[in-house]
Formats: sequence, structure tokens, C-alpha cells
Amino acid sequence: MKVIKAVYNFLVGDMIILVGILITVGILALIADVPGLHALKVISGVILIAAVLVVLTATLIREALGNK
Amino acid sequence: MQWAVIAAAFLASAVEFVEAFTIVLVVGVTINWRSSLAGALAAAATLAVIVATLGVALVRYVPIEYLRLVVGIILILFGLKWLKKSILRYSGLKAIHDEEAIFEENRAALRARGEVIAPRFEPFGVLLSYKSVLLEGLEVAFIVITFGSSAANATCNSTCGIGSAAIGAAVAGVLVILAGALIRAPLTKVPENSLKFVVGIMLTSFGTFWGGEGLGINWPLSDAFILILVALYLVATFVLVMILRQRKQQLELARTRQAQPTLQGQAEVSR
Repeated sequence: MKVIKAVYNFLVGDMIILVGILITVGILALIADVPGLHALKVISGVILIAAVLVVLTATLIREALGNK
Repeated sequence: MQWAVIAAAFLASAVEFVEAFTIVLVVGVTINWRSSLAGALAAAATLAVIVATLGVALVRYVPIEYLRLVVGIILILFGLKWLKKSILRYSGLKAIHDEEAIFEENRAALRARGEVIAPRFEPFGVLLSYKSVLLEGLEVAFIVITFGSSAANATCNSTCGIGSAAIGAAVAGVLVILAGALIRAPLTKVPENSLKFVVGIMLTSFGTFWGGEGLGINWPLSDAFILILVALYLVATFVLVMILRQRKQQLELARTRQAQPTLQGQAEVSR
């Protein structure tokens, strides 16, 4: 458990960033692999960039609210 | 010798070398040169071992998309972590960490005790430098072998083509390292918090680009799209810093208003 926590803290140390990025990668992998979702492949790049910005904003909002 | 292959390999490899060297450079400036160079040398050694043992087969059969995806995701995670801290510091929600003052203070204390400071390895810096050089190095190897073998003709066989491409790549590598050594000194004068902010932007941009490529995204303008990503993230973080600064001012104003009636009450009691 200590090793997992150390790796987590070393890699990211923020649950919002970790979960947000992993969910995004999962969605994009589905878009890339599921034939029914291939129509969305054109906007995959936009989805990735938007997700990165949303994740960053979300973690900053949490920090700002914690500063109350 | 095929000049067209040399020129093409030079240009393509230069882009990869610049990408790898930028990360090595900023790791050196922000963390320390020992960690940065150790990571880069370890990656070069790994590359040498991989290429020597597996050779052309590696470049043909190892799916670089998977490597790009994994490295891309890790870089996004690192990048966002650094960006978050930098934005919070710029907006005033987190105290600016004056590493130089702390370092000088620690050094003075150690000197007072008669101890010698040895620059230590930072695992984060070593790993970051290692990953970047390994990934970009694999791409350079890929460029050299594909350009070289595809350029084979009646006057120059596959080995000759690969040799020409390797010359182009080597010249690109030397030039990029020389240029990097020249801009190293000005970079050290930039405040560390600003550098960390730039690193955060860069890691997030490279991570988005490589991660996207690993997921099968074809970015417009190819590698040049990294510059667009950098610009996009810079604008977004600038907006976020502005919003957070406003929020901090509102919080301070609210705290001042809350404190005023208390102070007035205390003054009336003392009268």
C-alpha cells in the first residue's frame, strides 16, 4: 500500500487529475476502437485538449474553494 | 552518399532532438544537471543496447504508438501537477516557494557545520529526462532506418542509405546540443517559479501531442501542432490565473469586512 501511495504521489498526487485523465483516455480509446463511435474520431483531438483544460480547472477550483 | 536523405533525416531528426533536448535542458535548470544528464545518458545507453541487440527489427515491429500513449499520459499527469502549483502561486493562493533562498539558507547552515554539499539525484528529474530522450531517440532511430532503407537505389544500397540518414541525424543532434548549451546560461537567470510554469506548459503540450498520437489522433500540421498546443495552454492558464487572482481579492475583501466590526467593537469597549 505504501508503495502504491508513493508511486501515486510521485506521478501525480492529485486524484482529480489522475481520474480525469484516465477517464478521458478511456473514452478516446473507445472512440478509436468501437466502430459505432468512429464518427467522433474527427473531434478526438478537441476532446483531449478540452478534457485537459477541464481537469486543470476542476483541480484549481477545488484548491480555491479549499482556501475559503 | 545521398544528400537528399541526409537533408531529410537532418530536418526530421532536428525536430526530435529539439523536443528531447528542451526537456533535458529544463530538467537541468529547474531540478539539477546531474539528474538531467544522468537520465539522458541512461536513455542513450538503453537506446544503444536496444538498437545493438534488436537492430532494425525493433524499429519495424515495436509499436511506437503504445510507447507514445504511455509516455504521453505520464507527461500530462506530471505537466498538470506542475501547472496547478504554478498557477496557484501566480494567483497568490499559494505562497511563492523561494527555492533559491531556502537552498542558500541550507547551504549556509551546512557550511557552518563544516559539511560538503553533494548535488544529489532527483528521481523525478532523472526519469523525465530518461523518458524524453528514450522516446525521441527511438523516433530518430526510426527516421534513420526508414529514410535510409527507403532511399536505397542502384547506386546506394540499404546500408549506404541508412549511413547517409545517420549522418544527417548526427549533425542535427550535435547542432541542437550546441545551440542548447548557448541558451543554457540565459535560462538560469529566469526565476524558478516561472521556469516550472514553462515546464508545466511544455510537459502538458508534449503529453497531449504524444498521448493523442498514441490514441490514433492525427494532429494537423504534424509536430508543429505542439506550438499551437503551447499557445493554447498558455492562454488558458493566463485566464485561470486572472480568475483566481480576482477570487483571492474577493476573499481578502470579505475577510477585511468581517474583521472591521470586531475591531470597532474592541475600540468602543476600550473607550
